[in-house]
Amino acid sequence: MEDEVRKRIAEMLDSGEVTAVIALKDVLGMTTPCVFKKGDDLSSLRLSPHYPLATLAMKMHKMDPEYKIAILCRGCDERALLEMAKRNQIDMDKLSIIGIACDEETAKDCNCSVPYPSCEDLIGEKLEELELGDAFEDYKRMSTAEKLEFWKKQFEKCNKCYGCRNICQMCFCKDCELENELWLKKGRLPPDFPVYHLIRAFHLAGKCVGCGECESACPAGIPLMTINRLLRDDMKELFDYVVGNTEEVNPLYTKEEF
Amino acid sequence: MSDEWEPKIVGFLCNWCCYAGADMAGTSRMHYPANIRVIRVMCSSRINAEMIIKAFQTGADAVFIGGCHPGDCHYVDGNYRTKKRIDLLKRLIEHIGIEPERLRLEWISAAEGEEFAKTMKELRDDIKKLGPSPLREIAREAI
Ligand code: SF4
Ligand code: SF4
Ligand code: FES
Repeated sequence: MEDEVRKRIAEMLDSGEVTAVIALKDVLGMTTPCVFKKGDDLSSLRLSPHYPLATLAMKMHKMDPEYKIAILCRGCDERALLEMAKRNQIDMDKLSIIGIACDEETAKDCNCSVPYPSCEDLIGEKLEELELGDAFEDYKRMSTAEKLEFWKKQFEKCNKCYGCRNICQMCFCKDCELENELWLKKGRLPPDFPVYHLIRAFHLAGKCVGCGECESACPAGIPLMTINRLLRDDMKELFDYVVGNTEEVNPLYTKEEF
Repeated sequence: MSDEWEPKIVGFLCNWCCYAGADMAGTSRMHYPANIRVIRVMCSSRINAEMIIKAFQTGADAVFIGGCHPGDCHYVDGNYRTKKRIDLLKRLIEHIGIEPERLRLEWISAAEGEEFAKTMKELRDDIKKLGPSPLREIAREAI
């Protein structure tokens, strides 16, 4: 798969279709995000572990909207880009996509039902009929009181490092409500239960692309994806809204009745 | 006076309808339980998730939101947004262990003083059955 991607990158750069490619590469045994340009050695290219590359594309696009970029793109990356485009953060026409499909293990790990981008010349095998099962069976069996106990223990571990917010591709507001002292007083640790985590979860409803980066970034090991995924299912159930794969606007922002 | 526990309810009432409805209940001397602490807002859609979460965090046993009937919002479609927001927020609080019944949205017009009094009684009775908010014991002082 890596070779195929290398070939595609080289083609795009050589033909001048794009000026830069956002991808991942190996630096001293660590995989880091990078930008490849014409003539660069592509042998260090890596495809995993996944990393929120869409943010880089957005930032580059904001610096120079005319710059032509290509981006290594998994299903979640594409959803992120589409949601960004809906919010005028990026112009999809200026962006080429090198779509890669996730393998079964990764997809299951992320509880991801669409582990591939929608582009035609996809690299890798498209897993369409993936059996995910109900990841929350045990959780849903808990009583209300047990759930509260569970989350009290979890949220108590939070040291308000903002790691979950900082890594999140979909967090690009100029002023973050998590820093608003009306809701969360500075210097109080752990942050008042359950304000920090509920505000974050609610703001990401209909926006979270399910990349799982917040949970992997959390030094306290809080299962943040559980809430994100529950809300993802709620958005589907209540408003029939699925993040990323439609032109629709988040129903929470629209005036229509449901 | 009995020492029986009474729920504390934070009420966000829309200026154009429910707040006037509450006013009407008052001026027509209708009796309704005094559990609600009213905050007047210019439209039910002014209420964001943060405000409601904060009310629960600081120990509210329930949060009530009163808005204009569908089609009657003075800002055309604010209340449709409110409805969706509240439906989702109910799910979210339920996921982390707060009973969704503690969050209630009702449409009450300026002429429905009686409806307001009735809703307050119902809400208070429902919350009394549920008991104090589980967040009360961990609620820290506001600000
Ligand atoms: S909330 Fe977490 S899973 Fe969702 S987009 Fe942000 S980092 Fe990814
Ligand atoms: S990454 Fe974890 S510890 Fe840091 S603020 Fe987010 S939830 Fe809290
Ligand atoms: S003005 Fe009353 S709900 Fe909008």
